[in-house]
Amino acid sequence: MFVSRSMSRKVVTIYKDATVVEAREKLDKHHIRHLPVVEKDDILIGIVTDRDVRSAMPSVHLQSGHLNGDGNVLADIKVKDFMTIAPAVVTLSDTIQDALLLLQEKRVGALPVVDKQGRVKGILSVRDLMRTFIQVLGIGEPGTLVGVVVEEKVGQLKKVVDAITEEEISFGSVLVAKHWDKNKRAVFAYLLTLNISAVKRKLAKLGYELIDPMDWAIEQPSNSD
Amino acid sequence: MRRTGFLFDRRFLLHETGPYHPETPERLDAIYKGIEEGGLFDKLTVIQACRADDAWIESVHDKKYIDRFRDTCVAGRKVLDYPDNQMCGDTYDIAYLAVGGILKTIDKVMDGTLDNAFCAVRPPGHHAEIDTAMGFCYFNNVAIAARYLQQQWQIGRVGIVDFDVHHGNGTQHIFEKDASVFYYSIHQHPSFAYPGTGREFETGSGKGHGFTKNSPALPGHSDSDYQSLIEADLLPAFENFVPEMILLSTGFDAHEDDDMSDINLSTEWYSWMMEKMIELADKYSNGRLISVLEGGYCLERLPELARNHVTILLQD
Ligand SMILES: [Zn+2]
Repeated sequence: MFVSRSMSRKVVTIYKDATVVEAREKLDKHHIRHLPVVEKDDILIGIVTDRDVRSAMPSVHLQSGHLNGDGNVLADIKVKDFMTIAPAVVTLSDTIQDALLLLQEKRVGALPVVDKQGRVKGILSVRDLMRTFIQVLGIGEPGTLVGVVVEEKVGQLKKVVDAITEEEISFGSVLVAKHWDKNKRAVFAYLLTLNISAVKRKLAKLGYELIDPMDWAIEQPSNSD
Repeated sequence: MRRTGFLFDRRFLLHETGPYHPETPERLDAIYKGIEEGGLFDKLTVIQACRADDAWIESVHDKKYIDRFRDTCVAGRKVLDYPDNQMCGDTYDIAYLAVGGILKTIDKVMDGTLDNAFCAVRPPGHHAEIDTAMGFCYFNNVAIAARYLQQQWQIGRVGIVDFDVHHGNGTQHIFEKDASVFYYSIHQHPSFAYPGTGREFETGSGKGHGFTKNSPALPGHSDSDYQSLIEADLLPAFENFVPEMILLSTGFDAHEDDDMSDINLSTEWYSWMMEKMIELADKYSNGRLISVLEGGYCLERLPELARNHVTILLQD
């Protein structure tokens, strides 16, 4: 899963000498939150967010009071004065997993996507990632979630997948998660069918423990924001 | 005693779904048996099905979809759109019969011959979309019934209550922009059950905003949870909407012994629910109420569930 498949290719960018007013207009017009700042040839040098723009503006109003000038001062505030220099980026060959971890690490809402020369080729936002993960989970299609406990041994997962495939049921997705028993894994299969009772009976007959969905709690990260 | 209709036709058994499929002809046998053992046939008006006019099917479904269904069936292919939708050479005709029978039942209730009715039809309907067969459903029986009530009988506001354990995605989507049909569904939470729709934030769109209401219930929930949801969500919604006619999408698959879901309702809950529905019908629609079968797969429980269902329809 590469970033290039999930990113938005239409990127609205801005130059560092543009004013804060221009930046705000671009954000409003395109209903976006991030503007990569570029030089000639789309080389990335920074990024500004709607938040940066908002916090750059009131201070200007304050100043303008003191200076007794109106739009002039706003026009003096340039993107280069408040942009984030050298922002976190991903490259076209980075994976979605890379992007996810980087977004969490840097606590940002979007990552510009650049090529080897540092030219902006796209942008990957949390929204793009959500869309991708709805696809990955398969939940845009009709189906049913089934949870099974398997032993942490070679070939166990395959047996479950085979048993379900034999019933001619398609998979929307399969997630494997840690189980509280260290020697076991919890397998969550999203099956594209309503006809679920036969497959559940079959798995039980093969000796698998079906997970009561209400007993399942995914571990909460301790230091999330 | 009320005058209650029972739509039942042996031809509904001709829709064959092959081995290993839960939506079987035996389901209707079980329902029939339960009503017979209760000695209820003398009290019921049995209605024979008849073929629906194309126009009524087309009041909901795309012509292209209807033709595709016909061609698939005629060609002898066993599946339409999804592997769930197993069929036989008769399925297309039987789906027409089911709709036709329901429309005939509506006529009898609306012209005053009957007070209410239970339509024990196959195939079921609430998963069927405008142009797609889904979850054992081909034509959306209840959606067509609602359009028929409006167009043939000038009913302004139709209230649909869907208590099948699965969300009726088809019915919701057909009416989500329509403020004249209120769709209420109570079902197992979509993160755990087919088809994966029916979340609380799905409340209709455009002019229909506020005329769709979903009550998802988590796995393991039982009578008291379901009862609270009906009282907190459905009753106030109908109080505002004031339906002129009520249609039920009746699914018995939330029963504790039905292994299609993890909801654990008792037989008694289903009786409580039907008594509530009769109350609603008396309050809003002059007692008129039409129940249409959707799911329910536990052959051991279907007889008693159907018997109680009909007994409550008959009660004064
Ligand atoms: Zn169902």
